[in-house]
Amino acid sequence: MSAALLEQTVNGLMAGSVYVLVALGLVLIYGVMQVLNFAHGVLFMLGGYLCHFFFTRLTGSYAAAVLLAMAALAAVGIALERGVFRPLQGNLRNQVIASLGLILVFENLVIALWGPNALQMKVPATEALVPLGELRFPLQHLLIIALTLAAVAALAAFLKLSKFGTAIRAASQDRQAAMVVGIPVERIDWSTFALGTALAALGGALVGPLFLVFPQMGDAPMVKGLAGILLGGMGSVPGAVVGGLIIGVAEAWATLVLPTDYRDSVAFAIMIAILMLRPRGLFGVRVRGEQ
Amino acid sequence: MKSLIGFVAVAALLYAVPSAVREPYLLHVLVLTCLYAIPAMGLNLMLGYTGLVSLGHMAFAGIGAYTAAVLMVDAKLGFWSALVLGTLAAGAAGGAIGAVCLRFRSHYFMIVTLAFGLMLYSVMNNWDEVTRGAAGFAGVPRPAPLGAFGFGPLANFYHLALSAALFAFAVQWWVVRSNFGRVLVALRQDERLAQAKGVNAMLYKTAVFALGSALAGLGGVLHVSFLRVAAPATFNLAESINSVLVVIVGGAGTLAGPALGAALFVGLPEYLRVAAEWRLVLFGAALVLITLFAPQGLGGLIAGGWRRLARTRA
Repeated sequence: MSAALLEQTVNGLMAGSVYVLVALGLVLIYGVMQVLNFAHGVLFMLGGYLCHFFFTRLTGSYAAAVLLAMAALAAVGIALERGVFRPLQGNLRNQVIASLGLILVFENLVIALWGPNALQMKVPATEALVPLGELRFPLQHLLIIALTLAAVAALAAFLKLSKFGTAIRAASQDRQAAMVVGIPVERIDWSTFALGTALAALGGALVGPLFLVFPQMGDAPMVKGLAGILLGGMGSVPGAVVGGLIIGVAEAWATLVLPTDYRDSVAFAIMIAILMLRPRGLFGVRVRGEQ
Repeated sequence: MKSLIGFVAVAALLYAVPSAVREPYLLHVLVLTCLYAIPAMGLNLMLGYTGLVSLGHMAFAGIGAYTAAVLMVDAKLGFWSALVLGTLAAGAAGGAIGAVCLRFRSHYFMIVTLAFGLMLYSVMNNWDEVTRGAAGFAGVPRPAPLGAFGFGPLANFYHLALSAALFAFAVQWWVVRSNFGRVLVALRQDERLAQAKGVNAMLYKTAVFALGSALAGLGGVLHVSFLRVAAPATFNLAESINSVLVVIVGGAGTLAGPALGAALFVGLPEYLRVAAEWRLVLFGAALVLITLFAPQGLGGLIAGGWRRLARTRA
């Protein structure tokens, strides 16, 4: 493997991991509630800002700041589910429009509170370099990939093995039937939302030290995460993982042959092309209620 | 007939504004209102009447704007032909891209329109040879004078923008009252039933996508001619979201909704002396509240209130 290819593969896996964290939240929430939350990207961004706040103001420990940011965003997620998305259940158009409103609210709230400029976060892991073949990568790159893998494994185990995880899967397969057998679907709803937003916060908190914390930092991960879940198949958790990674690696590889400015377009072109061929995505889950 | 008289009266009133008010700031705000309202009316046909939530609408305004800018600056074409060609280019792009987007439904459709919007933005931002890239396309001329009527003075440009907005309004009106519009509403209400009645859904939806995009293009051409520079940021995702906001806040699926929404979106913050961030926070919150409590938007609220008032008086 040539050095350039290796470098872009690692970069792609790192970016893809971030997309996976966003995509997982989107897909879990969509699976259970049929809510497509376009505001997921600003929640990612909010996670980055809160991590920065906790890191610089409250605790000097990056790990603690990441966990606190995830907890805070879980609370935000619960509030949003209660206040906005539950009342709009069943009305896709209004859910999407409300989530566009939430984008404006959070993005500008952050600008009003922290200002429009990017904030720096000095974390040792961005300085430390790890040799890999003939190249050296910042530890934070590898940390993001490893933590995402760990999060995916933990999530898979949780969904497969725990009782509550099984209940989440049941509720996303058939809400009515889940209610009939006594699964508390409303509790599933808000806890899934909290889980999804906490994963977004993890993404924001991990990327923050690497690419700075700024109001639009969630935009690209959000649209790439959306592309990832469409690519993988709406409602499929493994699809979200594979889709997110494919988007990340493909756009990184594309920079080897195309100007980097067109990196984003590559991701979308791949998504649209695959959807034209396989409208239900790679992992084709047929979701209830779709035509 | 009554509504036609009302329309003419309101139009006459709006045309008379510059002779009554000499404050250039107000005229500036009114021009911007018209420039926001025109693409929003196009989006209203798609979103409000047909139920197609496009999240890349302003990218088509960008196609119109950049086509006109290139034609005027590089090809030395006159403003009026550039206006027509820019509008047509946006409509053609809307038809072609719409035909792809419309193969997808509900949230797939939204995400694909979003993706196309971002790709078009990326082209405007990066194709330096043609669009001049992120720095913007400077030197877009104001319209050439029509006889003795030049468009340099703000009042005269306002008349042009207002005429275009009234034209877009008339297009909306014509569509809604035509069979074409009735088919669109039928498609929104029940696409399968409409198809069972023999409607070619794809054809109609592509047509309204093209028409909506053409109106966006018209607004885009006027916008860059007003600002005298075409900048990619005028046509990015945030602006597409703002366009949805304008339509929804004003009242999707009502004729006056987009204009009302644009007036609120542009005008209110200019006179509410608050920082830009807080006004967008307010608008975002308003958008959420409207979806929760008044899905018909302000236009719908006003129309409902009006009907109730008429009923109590009768």
